[in-house]
Amino acid sequence: MRKFMFFLVISGFLLSISRVSFAEVNLSGYVFTDNRLGLEEENNKFTRNDNRLALKLDSDISGAHFYSEIWLRGLGFPTVSQSSDLQEKSKEKISPWTIEFREAYIDFYKLFTNNLELRVGRQRIAWGTADKLNPTDNLNPDDLEDIMDFGRKLSTNSMKLTYYLGGYTFTGVCIPLFTPAVLPSSEWASALSSPISFPNGITLRNFTDSIILPEDNPQESSMFAVKMAGNLFNNDLSVSYFYGRDDLPLINKVEITPITSTTVDIRAEMIYPRMHVIGVDLAGAIGDIGVWTEGACFIPEKVKMETSTIGIGTQTSIALKEEVYFKYVSGWDYTFKNGLYINSQFLHGFIHERGKDNLEDYLMAGIEKKFFNDELKAKLNFGVEIKDWNEIEDNLATMIFPEVNYYPVDNTEIILGAYLIDGKDTTNFGKVKNNDEIYLKFKYSF
Amino acid sequence: MKEKKFFMMIEVWVLALVMIVPSLAQEKKSEAQKKEFTALEILKKSDSVANAPKDQEIIMEMILIDKKGKQKKRGAKMLQKGSEKRMIKFLSPADVKGLAFLDLPNDMMYLYLPAFKKIRRIASHVKNTSFAGTDFTYDDMASINYADEWVPGLMESKKEIVSVSAEKEKELESKECEHYLLELKPKEGIKKDYSKLVMWVRKDNFYPARIEHYSREGKLWKIMERRKIVKEAKYWVSKETEMNDLKKEHKTKMLISEVKFDQGLKDELFSQRYLKRK
Repeated sequence: MRKFMFFLVISGFLLSISRVSFAEVNLSGYVFTDNRLGLEEENNKFTRNDNRLALKLDSDISGAHFYSEIWLRGLGFPTVSQSSDLQEKSKEKISPWTIEFREAYIDFYKLFTNNLELRVGRQRIAWGTADKLNPTDNLNPDDLEDIMDFGRKLSTNSMKLTYYLGGYTFTGVCIPLFTPAVLPSSEWASALSSPISFPNGITLRNFTDSIILPEDNPQESSMFAVKMAGNLFNNDLSVSYFYGRDDLPLINKVEITPITSTTVDIRAEMIYPRMHVIGVDLAGAIGDIGVWTEGACFIPEKVKMETSTIGIGTQTSIALKEEVYFKYVSGWDYTFKNGLYINSQFLHGFIHERGKDNLEDYLMAGIEKKFFNDELKAKLNFGVEIKDWNEIEDNLATMIFPEVNYYPVDNTEIILGAYLIDGKDTTNFGKVKNNDEIYLKFKYSF
Repeated sequence: MKEKKFFMMIEVWVLALVMIVPSLAQEKKSEAQKKEFTALEILKKSDSVANAPKDQEIIMEMILIDKKGKQKKRGAKMLQKGSEKRMIKFLSPADVKGLAFLDLPNDMMYLYLPAFKKIRRIASHVKNTSFAGTDFTYDDMASINYADEWVPGLMESKKEIVSVSAEKEKELESKECEHYLLELKPKEGIKKDYSKLVMWVRKDNFYPARIEHYSREGKLWKIMERRKIVKEAKYWVSKETEMNDLKKEHKTKMLISEVKFDQGLKDELFSQRYLKRK
């Protein structure tokens, strides 16, 4: 039904624009494929099969602008298990596909005065000056479906009001309804979750969870943010404040049911904690070197944790302290005379990390060089995760992501690369060290 | 009889006028051409001619040509105000469409990346790197007053013309005009990838018709030629600019299809607000 409605809307839309004046609406987009193959012995199989058609429509109406983006995706593998699956008219089990409504918004360039703009609709509001990892970018929920696509976010229905005054920009955002983050697939999920520890001899038989979303009312679900940006001594500076919710769920209730003397079932309940975030970011230059820094002070609301064990009783502890914690990232980039580009960032607190005592350090760096009149680009990105500086050897993970991009003709890109991870099991990325992959991607823009 | 004499006198007077006025004008023009300018004066005049319009809006096509003749095309729109503010937005092809570059005074440069919906501040390290795959660098694409960054010296024209012939550049349109040849060296404290430039400035209108870029080792590296120099409205403009990278054996032609001058472009257009706007 959803897909039928989608086609109806798209067909109607295309029909209407073709009848009015096709020249007034621009159609663009791209076709993208992404196939990955696991390299480890226990994972030596195709791990990703993504085929995407992105359609973008935009139009300039007088004093306003409309933009929309939709993804049609064939994502995943056949899930046929019986002959009746082969007879389903939807064919979803043979060739799974989805529609993603990425963005649809209207810009009003003059609202009452020339200096006031309004963007309303489903939109991505990207805040922060750092490269892809932005502690101040909390307006849109994370889209971690592909955890390696750092910085990908979901758009949300929101209103953004921007007032321009001289060199200063004042922005106010209202997001009426909370949208949770998309979590990574099961192979990668362990990177973002802490393992549950049990007393010796006790094992988990079954784990279930339930998520409690905020109620659909302004008090519970709505989120707000303001930002002021300007230039100070040749540096771009902005200060922001966000009042909303963490987009990743937090366990606040656990019910443990002993099944036998050595096995238990666990049922967990998760919520999305409220939080205030005060952010600052800065971008400028020291000599020829580009520099940026971005920090966010998170002030969460306290979340209690109830652990009840059938037959024993209920214990109450703290899942999230009402304690301020600070995530930040600082980086620099430089291009050498021979065209070699270097970019490096130090990050304190990854996307999913919360609480003062749970923030780890990451050092990310990348080098890039183009060859053959920019037809070939070679990139080497690498990262180090340091969980504990005092015992580095046991708390270290390394990531190496080599990539070659080939541009044979305009609009076409062929990408060959690998995700290679190693590290201790105590670290986030060390938990997924057996997920090494190589990938081949194609992209054609139109 | 009297009337006939009167008309004859008138005829003679008109004839004299017709003969004398142009020669007077020619004499005046020759005097102007003969006037000896210093190298700095020529460079400043050249800057003022190239940046004469109060503002300009240009639609252009960039053709990237490799040594095998394979071509790639980019469409772009450029806005410039005075000599210090410039914005370039790519219109085609699809994979770079929407990419936009803003150059402001004090080395403040910004790049809008439509795929990320983000404006990125870029530092001066990119100034000498290729702009969107073309043979122009960010520095070449930025609005520039050469006199601010280079120290000019006047060269012996004849000598340099010979040396240009040695570079097999025989079909120069600019040969038809007389030129001042200036040798520009970077001012102290200003970092450039070029050890020097040789600028050909047309004597008749002070338009910089050709700039030769020399590497730090002193070898001729790039040649920028401005062709089809015409007067549009009251300003001189080159409808075709070619940057030829002799090292890479690659060149980029910039063809102007539409140009508008002095539209009263507001300062606010040269801001991050308008950079991300379509």
